[in-house]
Amino acid sequence: MPGHTPKKSRIVILQLLLAVAMLGTWEYCSASKIVDPFFFSRPSEIALRVGHWAATGFIWPHLLTTLLETVLSFFIGSCFGSVFGFALGTLPTAAALLDPYIRVGNALPRVVLAPIFLLWFGLGIWSKVALGVTVVFFIVFFNTFRGIREVDSLLIDNARMLGASRRQVARHVLIPSALTWIFSSLHISVGMAIVAVVVGEYLGASKGVGYLIAQAEGVFDTTGMFAGMAVLALTVLLIGAIVGWAERRMLRWKPPQASNAPDRIPPE
Amino acid sequence: MNDAPAVAVRNVSKAFGSFVALDNISLEVGACRFVSIVGPSGCGKSTLLNMIAGLSLPSEGQIEVFGHPLAGINRRASYMFQRDALLPWKTVLANIQFGLRLRGYGRERSLEEAQAWVRRIGLDGFGNHYPYQLSGGMRKRVAIAQCWTVKPDLVLMDEPFSALDVHTRLRMEGEILTLSSSSKATVIFVTHDLEEAIALSDEVFLLSASPRTRIVGRYSIDLPKPRNLIDIKSDLEFQNLYRTIWRDLRKEVLKDDAGTHS
Repeated sequence: MPGHTPKKSRIVILQLLLAVAMLGTWEYCSASKIVDPFFFSRPSEIALRVGHWAATGFIWPHLLTTLLETVLSFFIGSCFGSVFGFALGTLPTAAALLDPYIRVGNALPRVVLAPIFLLWFGLGIWSKVALGVTVVFFIVFFNTFRGIREVDSLLIDNARMLGASRRQVARHVLIPSALTWIFSSLHISVGMAIVAVVVGEYLGASKGVGYLIAQAEGVFDTTGMFAGMAVLALTVLLIGAIVGWAERRMLRWKPPQASNAPDRIPPE
Repeated sequence: MNDAPAVAVRNVSKAFGSFVALDNISLEVGACRFVSIVGPSGCGKSTLLNMIAGLSLPSEGQIEVFGHPLAGINRRASYMFQRDALLPWKTVLANIQFGLRLRGYGRERSLEEAQAWVRRIGLDGFGNHYPYQLSGGMRKRVAIAQCWTVKPDLVLMDEPFSALDVHTRLRMEGEILTLSSSSKATVIFVTHDLEEAIALSDEVFLLSASPRTRIVGRYSIDLPKPRNLIDIKSDLEFQNLYRTIWRDLRKEVLKDDAGTHS
C-alpha cells in the first residue's frame, strides 16, 4: 500500500531476523552434512576465525595494507580524474581529439592490467594502487566531465551578468557542479577501488586481505577464505557508512531524495 | 553624456542561420524609465533582451548603453531570468551577496548588505536555507535581491513572474515597482501579459509575431504614480489603454496563430 512507510526500528529488527535465518540455515546444513562442510565451512567457525584473527592481531597489518592501498588509489585517481575531467570539460577540441582513446582505455577490463602492473611496480602496495587508480580515474573523470558539460548555462549567464570573470565562473559554477557529480559517485568509486585493490592482492602480493584469501585457497582452507570475505564485507560496510556521511555533509544543499524525507518547505 | 538614453537599440537584426528572428529593431529607453516589451509568445522578446544584456550579439546593427556602444557583457545591467538562476549550492545569504563578492567587496561588508536585503524581502530566518528549501515566490524574492544588491543602473527582466500564482505575482510586481522608483534604475521588462506591462510601465513597446519580428507599436502609459496594482485594473484610463494596445496585440497573436497552423 503506497503511503505506508514502515518504522525504521521495525525494519532493522526484520533485517536482523533475516540474517539470523540465513546464517542459521547455513549452520544447520553444514552441521548436519546436508552440504559438505569442507567446501562450505560454517558460520560459527568463520566467526571464530575472524575473532581469532582480531584477538591475535594477525588481521590488522593485512587490513591496514588493503585500506592504505584503497585510500591511496582513491586520492591519486580522484586528483588525476578531476583535473583531466575539468580540462577536457572546458576544452571541447581536446575532448573530441581524445575521445576514442578514452573510450578504449575505459573499455579495457582492468583485471588484465594487474599482471603488467605486477611486473612494473613489484609485489608491494604500488602495483595495487596503480590498478585502483585506473579504476577510480575513469569514474571521477567521467563525472567531472559531465558535471562541467551539463551545468545549466543559465547559471553561467547569471554569474556573468553579476560580474563574474572566466575564473570566477569556474570557481562558483563549474567546479561546484562537477563536485556534485563526483560526490554522488563516491560510493561507486570507493567501492570499485576496494575491488581493484583486492583483486590485485589476490593475483600477487605479500600482504593484504586479498592475499589472505589467496593463501587460504592455496591450502583448501574454506573457513579462511570465508573469514577473509567477512572481514572485507565488514570493512566495505564501514567505509560505505563513512562515505554516506561525507556525501550528506557535502551535498547538504540538495533536496533529500527519499520520499519519506521530512517536508522542509516552509509556508509562504 | 547625462541625457543619453539608458539603452538605444539601433537597426538591430538577429538571425539564427536562415531564420530571421528580429528584423531591424530600433528603440530607445530613457534613463530611470520603466519600459515593457510585449509581444506574442516566441516573437523574440528574450532574444532582444539577451542582446541588450550582452549575452548574445546582434547579427546587424548596434546597441548603445548610456551612450557607449555595447561590447561584451553589459556591465551596468542586472538580469532577472525567467527560470530560476540561483546557485543551488549557495545559501540565501550567499546567493544575495554573490554579485558583491564577485565585484571584490569584503566578506563582512557583503554579508551585512545581504542581511539587510534578507530583512527587506521578508525572509528573516531563512538566510541559511538553500534554494530547494524555499517556495517559488521566496526564490523569486532572493533573485530580486541578487539583482538589486549590485546597484545596477539597468535591470533587465525576462518574464520573471510568469511561473508564479496570481497573488504572489501581484506582491512581486509591487516590490519591483517600489524598488525601481526608489533606486532610479532603468527597467526593461519583457512579458506577454499586457495587464502586467501596463500596470508597471511608463512605456510599452509592442513586437510583431515571429518571424521577422518588428516593433509595431509604442505607447506612453501616463497613469499617475505611485500606482496601486490591485485597484489600477479597474481604472478607466487603464482600461482604455488596455483596449487600444490589445487591439494591436490581438492582430499579432492571430497572425501568429495563422502562421503556425498553415
